[in-house]
Amino acid sequence: MTSALAGVTGAAAEPASREGRRPRRSRRATPRNTLTKGAALGLGVTMVWFSILVLIPLAAIVATASENGWSQYVATLQNPQTWAAIKLTVGQALLVTVINIVMGTVIAWVLVRDRFPGKAILDVIIDVPFALPTIVAGLVLLALYGPNSPIGVHWANTERAVFLALAFVTLPFIVRTVQPVLEELESDVEEAAASLGASRTTIIRRIVLPSLTPAIAAGAALSFARAISEYGSLVLLSGNLPFRTEVVSVRVLSFIENGNTASAAALATIMLAVALLVIVVLDIVQRRVSRRG
Amino acid sequence: MSIDVSGVTKTFGDFVALDDVSVSLPTGQLTALLGPSGGGKSTLLRVIAGLETADTGRVTIEGVDATRLPPQKRNVGFVFQHYAVFKHMTVAKNVAFGLEIRKRPKAEIAARVDELLRLVHLSQFSHRLPSQLSGGQRQRMALARALAVEPKVLLLDEPFGALDAKVRKELRDWLRRLHDEVHVTTVFVTHDQEEAMEVADEIVVINDGRVEQVGTPDQLYDEPANDFVMSFLGEVTTLGGVLLRPHDVHISTTPQLAGAAEGTVSRVLRVGFEVRVNVLTDDGEDVLLVLTRTHARQLGIEPGVRVWVTPASGALTVPSMKAAVG
Ligand SMILES: Nc1ncnc2c1ncn2[C@@H]1O[C@H](COP(=O)(O)OP(=O)(O)OP(=O)(O)O)[C@@H](O)[C@H]1O
Ligand SMILES: [Mg+2]
Repeated sequence: MTSALAGVTGAAAEPASREGRRPRRSRRATPRNTLTKGAALGLGVTMVWFSILVLIPLAAIVATASENGWSQYVATLQNPQTWAAIKLTVGQALLVTVINIVMGTVIAWVLVRDRFPGKAILDVIIDVPFALPTIVAGLVLLALYGPNSPIGVHWANTERAVFLALAFVTLPFIVRTVQPVLEELESDVEEAAASLGASRTTIIRRIVLPSLTPAIAAGAALSFARAISEYGSLVLLSGNLPFRTEVVSVRVLSFIENGNTASAAALATIMLAVALLVIVVLDIVQRRVSRRG
Repeated sequence: MSIDVSGVTKTFGDFVALDDVSVSLPTGQLTALLGPSGGGKSTLLRVIAGLETADTGRVTIEGVDATRLPPQKRNVGFVFQHYAVFKHMTVAKNVAFGLEIRKRPKAEIAARVDELLRLVHLSQFSHRLPSQLSGGQRQRMALARALAVEPKVLLLDEPFGALDAKVRKELRDWLRRLHDEVHVTTVFVTHDQEEAMEVADEIVVINDGRVEQVGTPDQLYDEPANDFVMSFLGEVTTLGGVLLRPHDVHISTTPQLAGAAEGTVSRVLRVGFEVRVNVLTDDGEDVLLVLTRTHARQLGIEPGVRVWVTPASGALTVPSMKAAVG
């Protein structure tokens, strides 16, 4: 998450040297410690807060999981039921994130660029899946797609239930990260490209999308992280069937309920690694794309 | 004629931004669109570029009817007040953009970009991002980018409007020299009369969506078509119901000339080598005049002194449309 967001401000943070007296140095030179007293205090507070909230608990999990060494991880992964849960969760989270990248960008575009009746209402409603308590979201989905579905769609206890729940709760992320960036894009940049001969599609591909990728990547990271950790919205509809619809969070919970803290910690650590990996990959892709132009 | 605009009207809602505008801009010249804020200068430029479509009227560029052409097909270079840089591309990539779209060979693009960056004095910055350039440098880059595709006409909308006075002046002289080198038909918008007078071959004065006058800087200054043009191109004052330049008012401390208005000096302000004097005539007119310091000292001008003022012989005067402000 943080690494993806760093890309948004990265370009602006590079030093803008004056009038090119030393044009070669300014790009390469790593800034030395530029912290003022206030900034140092800010950084200190940030690190303490971040450590209390994030680093120490994470370290604790990793420590718990590592008590039994590598064997614990291997044992956890070798359990076929756990492995199935990981595959299902990561697979569906990736699928949902890819779909969000497309749909979220399209929705943001429509909200910013088009004018239609009901736009203001849509703009508000976008947040509902996110704002709803997840168990309420689960109830809503169950009512609509469950055994008593009024529309005749019976997706309860299938993989689709997991997908649906994840798509439902992660919908707003990319919309909300892309929307403000799109609003800030100045129309004269697109006009400049047009008068240089660029077609509408070329303008979107080479001018608009590169400006949006940092925001899309940040939203995708949020969306993926939320998806692999989702619990409330999918427990009701998915049925939590081992090997079929059981996701990692449910699996972790049942480990803990059975007093198997070590396995729970190991699984949690594995998911932590997956999340980090995806965030780093997103950041790399984002840097590539937004530099390409 | 390079650009022919005839009978163009453009409205936004029920607001008329351009009202039946017709102008012809000759090939190879540097023309200024001059006028007050909100007068419709940008709108006219954008209609020429195809960024705005006229409600009625025609736009012809180099003999081709461009009225219905999209901006992509008009082959005009457009430079925006706020640079409109492609932030994520290096300076070289920005300049190359139009050529890459035209799928020119790589070597040709590189050579052309090189040549253009040299022309705008940005060679050493080619690998920088626009955020690492100063405002003036960004605008020069935008200019190179627009010139890269060899446009038939170059349109600049207040290109130096966002820069400080000194850089602005440098760049305007530089634009003039650049134009003498490149000779592409250029139209630039400004609301600064000094900028227009200094740089342009021809000036189109636009006010309230209408063309007030077209002419060379000298023509506009010496033969303004109306009181608006007269007052927009320089300082004016009213005396006996006519507009004239403050330095064209003759002043004396004795009633020398027939028909001179009698009055009292109300204010004397020294600005550098000149002295600005306000005279309140007995008819209630507040007349401003500008004298050299020596002249003012010779006459002994100071507040309270009785004086006689009259238009100097050969002074340019235009009937004032506005009621004289007491
Ligand atoms: N897209 C638009 N929608 C509504 N009104 C507009 C639009 N563009 C311009 N106008 C109006 O048209 C009038 C002329 O605008 P224009 O931008 O051409 O003025 P200008 O002469 O360039 O002024 P300035 O020197 O301040 O840039 C203004 O009153 C402006 O409010
Ligand atoms: Mg304007």
